[in-house]
Amino acid sequence: MTTRAQTAGRQAAARRREGTWIEAVLAHLVFAAVIVFFLAPFVWLLTAAFDADAQAYIRWPSQLTLDNFVRVFTEHDFGRALANSALVAGLTMLLDVVAVSLAGYSLSRMDLRFKSAITYGVLLLQTMPLSATMVPIYGLARAVGLRNSYLGLILIHAAIELPFLIWLMKGFFDSVPRYLEEAAWLDGRSKLRALVEVVLPVARNGIGVVAGLSFLAAWAEVLMVIILVDRQDMFTVPLAFYQVLRTRGGYTEVQYGMVAAMGVLYLVPVMVIFFATRRMMVRGLLSSARGL
Amino acid sequence: MARVEYDDVTKQFLGQQDRAAVDHLTLDVADGELLVLLGPSGCGKTTALRMLAGLEYPDSGDIRIDRRSVVGLEPKDRDVALVFQSYALYPHMSAKDNIGYPLKVKRMTEAERDRRVTRVAEMLSLGTLLDRRPARLSGGEQQRVALARAIVREPRVFLMDEPLSNLDAKLRTHTRTELKALQRQLATTTIFVTHDQAEAMTLADRIAVLDRGRLLQLGTPDELYNRPVSLFVAQFIGSPPMNILAAQVRNGTLVAEGVWRLPLGRRVDATEVSLGIRPEAIALSEPSADAQAAEVLVSEPLGSETIVNVKLGNALVKVRAAPHVRPDAGATVHLRADPARMTLFDAKTGAALP
Repeated sequence: MTTRAQTAGRQAAARRREGTWIEAVLAHLVFAAVIVFFLAPFVWLLTAAFDADAQAYIRWPSQLTLDNFVRVFTEHDFGRALANSALVAGLTMLLDVVAVSLAGYSLSRMDLRFKSAITYGVLLLQTMPLSATMVPIYGLARAVGLRNSYLGLILIHAAIELPFLIWLMKGFFDSVPRYLEEAAWLDGRSKLRALVEVVLPVARNGIGVVAGLSFLAAWAEVLMVIILVDRQDMFTVPLAFYQVLRTRGGYTEVQYGMVAAMGVLYLVPVMVIFFATRRMMVRGLLSSARGL
Repeated sequence: MARVEYDDVTKQFLGQQDRAAVDHLTLDVADGELLVLLGPSGCGKTTALRMLAGLEYPDSGDIRIDRRSVVGLEPKDRDVALVFQSYALYPHMSAKDNIGYPLKVKRMTEAERDRRVTRVAEMLSLGTLLDRRPARLSGGEQQRVALARAIVREPRVFLMDEPLSNLDAKLRTHTRTELKALQRQLATTTIFVTHDQAEAMTLADRIAVLDRGRLLQLGTPDELYNRPVSLFVAQFIGSPPMNILAAQVRNGTLVAEGVWRLPLGRRVDATEVSLGIRPEAIALSEPSADAQAAEVLVSEPLGSETIVNVKLGNALVKVRAAPHVRPDAGATVHLRADPARMTLFDAKTGAALP
């Protein structure tokens, strides 16, 4: 027998189910809108790059062509820019991994005086707007001869990301149990070798995350390159974009097809790195969050 | 040859200003001996062990191996092996590489390394597991790999920090036996830390009981069991633990819990004492003038014996009886104590009276 209360309860439950159904549709619509919003530039990049007569808006290519890709290498020295970017980002990554391993490990393990002050001081550095340091960095680089130099670019790029990466890596090291390195010390290893042979392999997801983030940040960085580089053969990819602006009859004309082709080429390595390391990244970021 | 000496060692941790983790510890471990550091958690036993390993530094005092101070030495230069409670196996290496790691560090050739790893693996029946990573080994197997890694080096001293506590009860008892046999066979000086008195009793040549950083008693398992120096040691060792009864000394006799009169075979100056008596030092007997009547609370048959719990005054007394003896709750039994096996403690300080 069904009581009135039971019936009312069932109706309420049905309303709730209806509510969740509407909510789900709404949520999906919002997600779809967000995705469309963020995806639009990429759609433009992909369509314009293969369009013989690319425009500043999204459209199906009037005529499919690979011409844009050929021209960025023939009319402009885009290969050189790619090589410069790869060199700078690659070495920045190496430098960051070494520096961050040592600094993060020290902050994680050593009983330092003023350790929390140092640790938060590092974080404070990260919060400073980069543009505020533009002028002194320019002056400093000029004074020590690091303008138009790969070393200058690598040092500054490595330094920009260092505070955040140190914090991240400290978190990874915090999640590696201390007894592992203690076991290695007792097995006869020095502290540095124990770090390299035992702690780093165990924290390899963290190293992967640090390396990936460091490479991507240096690969994408524009401001410091503008300040430090004015020789065309040292241009990295972001600066190369300016080269496809051309002046004709007093007007500045943008060659959208070539800009898009460059954009695609610029994105490919990022995508490759992301998809190659995404598992490691997710696992690494999760374990870092646990360690913090 | 490795003799270990702690000489007046004190260690205090930052943020623990009120007391030292290890408080003026002086201890001498003979070559080839298996010494157990026993105490409740926080008693300083692990800290004492870690100081010998070089993972902590003493604030004062000296630690010597073979008469040479190791205090200034890095862990890697001390030639001691430590088996961690959590085993501390390198997760990115196979069991074989884990065991062989200390040999690799010593730059031993691969052939020699293989030979030694194989020999130790055989000793610990690890043969078929050598290619597995630690994550694919059971707790007991991981424990044996950790042990193999310590043994393969042939160190001067083995240090073991509660290596059995993560095993299930059955495996723990089994491994305990194996460990003891192994230590006898290798005859390497071993310091073993545990909070489990049964483990300490079965393994040790000598036991050092620690509490609050202080060494309370050092002796063979028999000495600790039969002649504890304090109430703490008396209650910590033995299962079920020693019965402790409040007692008064009156005219050369002892009155426990206000009712049980016991002969006192010697002169005791104190009047208020604590009487310590092991469950097996009390017998259930026929009613007689010198036997104390008491009411049974509950009998606990254990198969090999029965623990009879009786009520005496306000105290609960445990009596170890033969397996077939199972008095019902509420029944009256008669207790008779062996005067030679009674220990008296100062009621205030807890120190054993002579």
